[in-house]
Amino acid sequence: MKYALYLGCTIQTEQYGCEISARETLPRLGVELVDMVGTSCCGFPAFSSLSTLGWWYLSARNIAIAEGQGLDMLALCNGCYESLVQTKHNLDEDSNLKAFINDKLSKEGLEYKGDSKIVHPISLLHDIIGVESIGEKVKKPLEGLKLASHPGCHAIRPSLLGMPDKAEHPEKLDTLLKALGAGTMDYPEKTDCCGSMLASTAASTTLTITAEKLKAVEGYGFDGLVTTCPFCFQMFDGRQEEINDMIDFLLDTDSDEVELPVFYYTQLLGLAMGLKPDRLGLQLNMSPVDRILDKIEEGPNR
Amino acid sequence: MTGKTEDREVEFISLMLQRAVSEMAAEVCEQCGKCASGCPVSRHMEDFNPRRIIAKVALGRIEELLKSEEIWTCTSCMKCKERCPENISPYDVILVLRNMAVRAGLPHPESYDQTIEAVVDNGVTQEPLTVRTRTGERHDRSSLSLNPIDKPQDMEEFKEVLLSIVEAGKPR
Repeated sequence: MKYALYLGCTIQTEQYGCEISARETLPRLGVELVDMVGTSCCGFPAFSSLSTLGWWYLSARNIAIAEGQGLDMLALCNGCYESLVQTKHNLDEDSNLKAFINDKLSKEGLEYKGDSKIVHPISLLHDIIGVESIGEKVKKPLEGLKLASHPGCHAIRPSLLGMPDKAEHPEKLDTLLKALGAGTMDYPEKTDCCGSMLASTAASTTLTITAEKLKAVEGYGFDGLVTTCPFCFQMFDGRQEEINDMIDFLLDTDSDEVELPVFYYTQLLGLAMGLKPDRLGLQLNMSPVDRILDKIEEGPNR
Repeated sequence: MTGKTEDREVEFISLMLQRAVSEMAAEVCEQCGKCASGCPVSRHMEDFNPRRIIAKVALGRIEELLKSEEIWTCTSCMKCKERCPENISPYDVILVLRNMAVRAGLPHPESYDQTIEAVVDNGVTQEPLTVRTRTGERHDRSSLSLNPIDKPQDMEEFKEVLLSIVEAGKPR
């Protein structure tokens, strides 16, 4: 299993825990990650809003680089994944668009052909590697933990693009958590948005949407929230403190603060493999993950 | 065969609009409200409602939409697109309206312009940030043993091509 690793902006410039934990764990499952050379932003959401053609150009350009390497492309970020898959769909359906984009790409010696697949981490882990192979690598099962899965919008919608999991009843991330020995359960807000795309236009509504989901998950008695998406992670983990500073305002009621640990799936995968938290970028999680780390370190029979 | 970028830009945006709203001329949207009922923004902001946006498009009230703030407050969660029983996608309609508003020289979020400027100049939305740990230690990519970020190799060529697309059709 060999993939061109497409990281995009958010992971490479601030969500380092996502990259570190993916690079640390995926090769242990037999995945060879090949770095890409010459990539750029995928174009979402600024270009999709202001210059859709620029968006398709950027995404096609990144796919063309993976095609030049002769590899399928692993896109860790949900925003990038959706951009790449939507663009691929458009170019494969519309030969005029493909010709236009290729004319532009030729100036950098690139060509979009359409033969590289775009792969999401949930598909890679669940469908390609498989839960059995993951289970075999578990040295420290996450027993006694009940974790909420948050696949994120762009891992499940729109289903017409053939997304990694079902739009209304996604289960793969739950299955992947069970493979690590953790408990999960379905919850009504599972498919709800993290709110991140409103950050630039409706700052407090963004945080209200995030806060509502955090409160709901905590209210169901989950020990933590798990995602693979850097945008969602940034909202739930990175902005939890800011949410707590204004939680009564955001939820328009007297509310206790949220104390919900948030993880990248690959961080938990690494912990279950017996890797130390610092090797998985867990020192960078801003949510209160320490009690969970202690619990995993002690093992289930404490 | 590819023609001037400007013409192609107009052609593709027209095509997007056509695809996004073509069926609505036949009043396919029943205003059932499934889009709005699933919308995370409508729940909090009275001014945003995907069902109403579709109604306005069907009634030809495009200019009003282009000048409104509401087309800029979609989270792109795509529940509306997923759940519409008539396969109308308010999300895609909103994207087209945003593209049209920019080309009409109407107000839009500055942050998007800034992001586009950054990508045109550097290939990425921002330079790598220094982050902190829970205990307040500061880290950058190199202190975390991560390689420098990947960027376009010939930045001048990248910039020229991307600008030719982004600027196409925009008011001068």
